[in-house]
Amino acid sequence: MTATTATDGSTVTAAEWADAFARASDEDPEIQAHGKYFTCSYLLDMERRTFVVQVGRGKVLDVTVDPGPLQVPYQFALRASADTWRNFGVPVPAPMYHGIWSASFQRDLRLEGDILVLMQNLRCFTRQFELLRTVGVPV
Amino acid sequence: MSKISPVTGHYVDVDVDGLLYKIFYLENGQGQPLVCQHTAGCHNHQWRGLLDDDEITKDYRVIAYDLPRHGKSDPPENTKWWTEEYQLTADHYANFIVALVDALELENPIFMGSSFGGNIALQLALRHPDRFAGVIPVEGADHSPGFYLDWWQHPHANAAQVCASGVWDLMAPQSPEADRWKTWFYYSQGSEAFKGDLYFYSVDHDLRDELADIDGRRCPVVMLTGDYDYLTTPADSARTAGQIAGGEFIEMKGIGHFPMSENHAVFRTYLLQALALLQKASRSAAV
Repeated sequence: MTATTATDGSTVTAAEWADAFARASDEDPEIQAHGKYFTCSYLLDMERRTFVVQVGRGKVLDVTVDPGPLQVPYQFALRASADTWRNFGVPVPAPMYHGIWSASFQRDLRLEGDILVLMQNLRCFTRQFELLRTVGVPV
Repeated sequence: MSKISPVTGHYVDVDVDGLLYKIFYLENGQGQPLVCQHTAGCHNHQWRGLLDDDEITKDYRVIAYDLPRHGKSDPPENTKWWTEEYQLTADHYANFIVALVDALELENPIFMGSSFGGNIALQLALRHPDRFAGVIPVEGADHSPGFYLDWWQHPHANAAQVCASGVWDLMAPQSPEADRWKTWFYYSQGSEAFKGDLYFYSVDHDLRDELADIDGRRCPVVMLTGDYDYLTTPADSARTAGQIAGGEFIEMKGIGHFPMSENHAVFRTYLLQALALLQKASRSAAV
């Protein structure tokens, strides 16, 4: 499995990143306080790797690493270059890498699929996405 | 010992374009009026830091009002507003602000607004250069397309949360968390007005061919924009100021689209520079 460097300098595999992301979300006070109806599935396309995250009632049910064709359905997708994802995954992102709105207006992030589901879950999703600042990204 | 703020609130009747409004405003300080417009879908608590800033209120009478349909300013008193879609136009917005400063009998006011308030500041400099001592457009530009979206009022999503979390990325990650969350909280209260406000911001406001008609020597224009603003970027504001005679622009570092609300401590340092520039330009115009 390809290894990558986390924000703290340690080397993690994609599977280890998936576990760390799920744990950070499930232990996050804000998501757990407001996530009773936070339920959705989405694809993170990081150019070199893809992940499908499934969330049910505020808990991460599964993070699939590099799913095969037709393997795992999802409702919406976030696609960007590996460079953009690396810019998301730092403690204080530079301007325009500080969120999905800024990066889709000003950088190469594309929001695809059923955007209504994203909007229905926007509060908790926004927080979950920001966990990349502490967990880092595996590309 | 209780602590009572010197900030006071009042209502004033404003009659404009056949519509009667009861307008709520907060004020503090004495001296030249500094009239402050909040951002789209929000209200005057965004200016809470400025209203309480002794260094500014000793020289300026800070007045932060709620635009109709925002905060404590109700929709019009004399129409069945609930039977119409709200779409704010540049004409009505500019007419309203002039009617407000007239109703308050303000002499020589400086107008400052952020986002759609920054854009209307440019419109005021164009339309009413002699009614204002100057304008400070914050996060403003000649044109700001792209934010008139149906998501702000979609019945299948939680509009309060969509508006509040939808503008979260407009703030800089360095801004204090508590202030960003207050701003989020204000945005959860304004979803019914937000989209109609953005009709002005992203559709009706377009000064791309009219900047040369703004005379910044007659009505000084000092623009401020934060580097974390993805809607109106520093490049957008610099381009705008560059086409206004005498126009000034200051880029603000480490701050976003709601600077007065997300981080007053940083914003005030740039505001003091802007006020100094504006006063210098006013003195030059007077001689």
